[in-house]
This record gives sequence, C-alpha cells and structure tokens, in this order.
Amino acid sequence: MRKYARFIVPAGVIVIALGFLMVNLSSTLVYFNTPAELQARDASDARLRLGGRVVPGSVVEADTTVVFQVEDCDTSVQVIHTGVPPQLFQEGIGVVVEGAWTGEAFESDTMLVKHDEEYRVDDEDYDKVDHTCSES
Amino acid sequence: MTTLERNPSSVWPWIVMAVAGLVTFVAAMSVSPDAVQGQLSRIMYVHVPSAWLAYLSFGVTMFASAMYLWKRDLAWDRRAHSSAEIGVFFTGLAISLGMIWGKSTWGVWWTWDARLTLTAIMFFVYLGYLALRRTTDDLDARAKRAAVMGVLAVIQVPLVHFSVIWWQTLHQPPSIIKPEGPDMDPSMVVTLLISVLSFTVMYAAMMYKRIDLARIEDAVLIAEQTNTGPAAGEAVVAPDLSGGS
Repeated sequence: MRKYARFIVPAGVIVIALGFLMVNLSSTLVYFNTPAELQARDASDARLRLGGRVVPGSVVEADTTVVFQVEDCDTSVQVIHTGVPPQLFQEGIGVVVEGAWTGEAFESDTMLVKHDEEYRVDDEDYDKVDHTCSES
Repeated sequence: MTTLERNPSSVWPWIVMAVAGLVTFVAAMSVSPDAVQGQLSRIMYVHVPSAWLAYLSFGVTMFASAMYLWKRDLAWDRRAHSSAEIGVFFTGLAISLGMIWGKSTWGVWWTWDARLTLTAIMFFVYLGYLALRRTTDDLDARAKRAAVMGVLAVIQVPLVHFSVIWWQTLHQPPSIIKPEGPDMDPSMVVTLLISVLSFTVMYAAMMYKRIDLARIEDAVLIAEQTNTGPAAGEAVVAPDLSGGS
C-alpha cells in the first residue's frame, strides 16, 4: 500500500492545485470581452480587450483614427481606434482591440486581427458570418 | 537485455522520414493558398501536424510510462523517453511556426491568450521531464521518477486542445474537427490530412531510431556501472615511483 500512497498523494496534490488554478484563473484565461460583456461594465480607465467582427459598411477612416462597429451575435459597440490598423484589417474580419471603455465607445490604441477557423481558396466563398454565434 | 536485437544502423527509417517530409512539402506547396491570408496559410500544413505529433507523443509517453509502472520493464521507459523527446521538438516547432504566422496575421509574435500560454507551459513541463531524467544514473530510479511525471503531465494535452473552446482566445478554434463539419476548402482539408498522415509516419520512423539510440545509451550506462577494471582504464599506467637505477 505504501508504494501506491507515494504515487497517489502527489497526484492528488497536483490535481487539487490544478483545479484551484483553473477555477480561479478562468476569468483571466478569457482573452477578450464580447461587445455584450463590455456593455455590462461601467466606464473606467481600466485596460480591457474587446473582440468581435468588424461590421461591414461601418468603417470610417480619418487621419489618425479609424472608427467602426464591432459586433457579436447580440449587439455591437463603437470602436475609436487611434493608429494604423494591421494589413489584414477589413470589413467582416474578426479583431481584438485593446483600450478603455468610456461607456459609449471603446477607445483603443492596439489592434490584433483575429483569423477565424475558416479557410477558403476563393474570397467569394467566405461566408462572412460570425462563427461564435453558431454556438449560442 | 542489453543485446541489440535490431541493427541500429538501419537506413530505412531515414528514408521513410525523408519521403514523408517530401510528401508534406509537395502537398503544402501545390494546394491553393487561403484567400485572406495568402501564402502564409501554407504554414498550417506543418503547424497543425506538429501540434498533432505533440499530442500523440505525450499520449504515447503517458501509455509507456503507465506500462513501465506496471511491468517494470526498462523497454517501456525507453519508449516513454523517446516519445517525450520527439514531442518536445514538435511542440517547439509548432510554437515557432505559430509565432511567424501570428506576427503576420495578428500583428504580434506572442500574446498571453489561453492556447499560447498553456502550450508554452506544456513545452516547459516536458523539458522538465527530460531534465528529471538526468537527475540520476540509476536506471530503475530514473525510470520510476520519469514514469510518474510522464503519466501526470499528460493532463495538459486536453487542456491545450480544448483551451480554444473553453475560453475566448485569440487563437482560432479547430477548423476540421468540429460538430458542423470542416470549415475549410476541401482541397485544403485533403492536404492537411496528407500532412498529418505523413507526420505520423515520420513519428513512427523517429521513434524506431530514437529507441535504438536509447537502448545503446542504457547499455553504455550499465557497462560503465559494472566496470571492474582500473579506474582510468587500460590506457593509463600507474607511475612507477620506486626509484630504479
């Protein structure tokens, strides 16, 4: 029995530690907020990430800013992005922007283009839908 | 036990690896690129099979480790070790290629999303497994320590794989294995399957070679430990201090 105890005790400790980590880190493991999650928050200076799809037809480019809507299945949020967006930035593509939530708009200064799991040879074949919606 | 039943210098595993690599290369270069990502999408045909081999390797390490704990046969320990080493290599390859892809697609080399972070942890934990194996020259103690870790560490494989589904990550979820069916052009699906299959064959050939090497390493260790000859070997003669004429 001692032989097995030496194995089971550390295994138990590791499993409990891992479970504790997972439960407590779950919220930080989430990389970005959806538009709905953002709207549920109060305005603050806290640095957040917002992820979603660039609403086609909503992009307005100015000198140093780009203004557009980011949507998920439920709702959309206005983003005021300062800086040059990445090369792949376009209408209908997924983005993750970093910045602060003012309560009305999301003011970002960093943008990552999020490629989704769709792969197509022809641009026409892209079905341009938000895949995250199919779950809910 | 330490005799070599197989010819360790056999050439065919090398040929198998070369052919598998060539098949992947030709397949990846001949398929049409993705419309949005362009040529960059070809990285997928090495990145995805590398990640698959990492999962497979660590799964085999877990199985072989459990078999060692049950049978106490060092042959299982060598299999576990060989597989873990190959797994670490392919985890590193998947991370490196992913970084190149990420720099061009996302705009950053690295970011701390769940998939990337957990993959990095998995990489270092299995490096730790390889380091643990060097803490002793006692073959049985080494095998036992490594086997316990080899079984426990496998928990990371499902964590890494399902991280993109359980948490919102920057990394995209799986394209092919999903409930609604593949979300990928059929030509790309076929190419990806060819590359995954080629890499799996490559893994088998690498395992064959690495296990042969592990057997030689163990034989050398045992020979060293059972050596009863002069400490410095036959080449060194104790100096004659008697004076003489």
